[in-house]
Amino acid sequence: MRLSVLAILAVLAGLPAPATAQQAELPAVMVSRQAAEALNLSVGAVVQVAPPDGSRGRDFRVAGIYEPTPDPSRLGNAVHAVRLHLPDLLDLTSPPDAPKGAESVDAINIRLVPDTDALAFSRDVNARLPGLSARPATDAGAAAGPFRVLERFHLAIAIVTIIASTVFLVALTVMLVDERRETVGVLRLIGLPTSRVLVQVLLEGALVAGAGSVFGLALALVSEGVINRFFQWRYDTALLFVQVTPSVAATCVLIAIPLGVSATVVASWLLLRRNALRLARR
Amino acid sequence: MIALLFAWRSLVRQPARATLGVLGVAAVGALLFDMLMLSDGLIVSMRDLLDRTGFDIRVTASGDLRRVGDRMHDTDATLAAIRRLPQVGTVLAIRFVEAEADGADGPVALTLEGVQGDARPWTVLSGRDPAGAREVVVSQALASTLGVELGREFEVRARCASRNQVLPPARLRVVGIAEFPFELVGDPTVGTAMPTLDEACASRTDESDIILAAALDDVDVTAAAVRAAQPRLSVATNEQVLGRLQRNGFTYFRQISAVLTTVTLAFALLLITVLLTVSVNQRLGEIAALRALGFSRGRVVADVLCESLLIVGLGGLISLPLGAVLARGLDSILKTMPGIPGQMYFFVLEPATLGLHASLLAITAIAAALYPMQIVARLPIAATLRNEVLS
Repeated sequence: MRLSVLAILAVLAGLPAPATAQQAELPAVMVSRQAAEALNLSVGAVVQVAPPDGSRGRDFRVAGIYEPTPDPSRLGNAVHAVRLHLPDLLDLTSPPDAPKGAESVDAINIRLVPDTDALAFSRDVNARLPGLSARPATDAGAAAGPFRVLERFHLAIAIVTIIASTVFLVALTVMLVDERRETVGVLRLIGLPTSRVLVQVLLEGALVAGAGSVFGLALALVSEGVINRFFQWRYDTALLFVQVTPSVAATCVLIAIPLGVSATVVASWLLLRRNALRLARR
Repeated sequence: MIALLFAWRSLVRQPARATLGVLGVAAVGALLFDMLMLSDGLIVSMRDLLDRTGFDIRVTASGDLRRVGDRMHDTDATLAAIRRLPQVGTVLAIRFVEAEADGADGPVALTLEGVQGDARPWTVLSGRDPAGAREVVVSQALASTLGVELGREFEVRARCASRNQVLPPARLRVVGIAEFPFELVGDPTVGTAMPTLDEACASRTDESDIILAAALDDVDVTAAAVRAAQPRLSVATNEQVLGRLQRNGFTYFRQISAVLTTVTLAFALLLITVLLTVSVNQRLGEIAALRALGFSRGRVVADVLCESLLIVGLGGLISLPLGAVLARGLDSILKTMPGIPGQMYFFVLEPATLGLHASLLAITAIAAALYPMQIVARLPIAATLRNEVLS
């Protein structure tokens, strides 16, 4: 078990000042990139940090600037935060007359030794320490609720897009196959059986669908970068909004190729059922 | 008109192809229609909700939304000071407290809404407003979840000071079923007078999360007066709240709507162009023959344009009911998102949306027809006829 809460967010107050040798003795803080940009801070600067009421402000030395862990639930809100060592924060926020040991923290994160049952551990803590609520970190997934909903929304949009694409695809293949009616008629007249022509059409459909899938994936990879860069700029975050993972790519290919091949074969079959002479217009 | 009839006959001559084209446009059009409704849906819906409450100004400690920001202290004095302003009509302070009650399937999380002032932020559907001690109104959702009826009592455990605080249960009596405009999905609400909330919290704090005020004068003038009277508090009009949500809260849906609208239109443009181009290429001989018979260049070009307009027009018409059905499905998915008031809608139809939908489809139809129209316009009559005869 290890206490991993070393710092908590506090409110920035005051203006940066240039660092000197004496100021190097000041307690250190880390400043979020967004806060550093907003306040024009750099490493070594001195900032005054105070509780929200402005009282008991203290000087700190900026020891580093960090990129906050991307948090989807804080999208659109710039993370203006400072990380202090917990004792420094307690010094700032505890009432001056508070007795020792009366300080409070919001949460304690615990890393368990490998192969420890987190659920059993949390139950044990809850039983031994009434008034505290311990829960496994995996339960924090509840915070991702909105994104599960968005995932379902995007899936629904994708299904509608696939339906629209399928209709268009069938329309196009019907037209393209119809355009080659005479060629198919001649092939049938010189002795090629329907199955042979169908196999050729099947292979052709597979090739076209495969090429289309590759092109689509390439387009997705290019647009992935563009969309991510745009939204990262728009929301000032390091979050990834679009990610073409191998499983996503495989799903796309697994949908696109059978769909393309099926559309081609169905359209061709409708044509091949006709009489060879009618196909060749003779 | 003649060109339109001619284009109609061209489509009817190949019903399978025409039907597929129209259906494809209908599916894409439905998605486009939904994205246009989504782009402003939340804002329109939120404006409607804010207007329905009858209050024009919202006063908070830090300008944050409820439960996120700090609470206001000295509510009694603040409320009285705002009420004294000549521009202000009714005033209402609200404090929200998380709580839980025991339902049939385990604990049910809920919100206790304590109010103090001249009005109530809910509409009583049955029963009456709370008047005495421990009397509450509950939302329909909570009444169903807990199985409580008018006159029945139930226990709640409030978490007043922090989320981890668990106080002894307080016994409340239901005197009404009410509609809460801002009740969140999955978070049913209990409304009561502030003293009853204080009782549930076992302390009187004189705190509130928000103060609502109705303006008798111009809203901006009234807001300025409230701001001058309470300089330490954050004062916002409904329009300013909407503006803030537009900039931060709901921006994702506007962005995704803009991206999907663009992609949908590009998709429709590409596919209609391909459909028309292939169709025109298959009929080059026929078009050359018509030209040879005396049809002018403009006339055959108009035929192609009318064909495009017919496909897109018919598809666009079908897309409206299709889009409405799809919007209901998508809305039901998005409304499961936590933190969204149950009475808000993501997809809202406005007259302007219909106009924009029609305009975008019309532009797409014209743009999609440009390339095939060019093919037809530049068609060499004699060479095409000769090739047709030789083939």
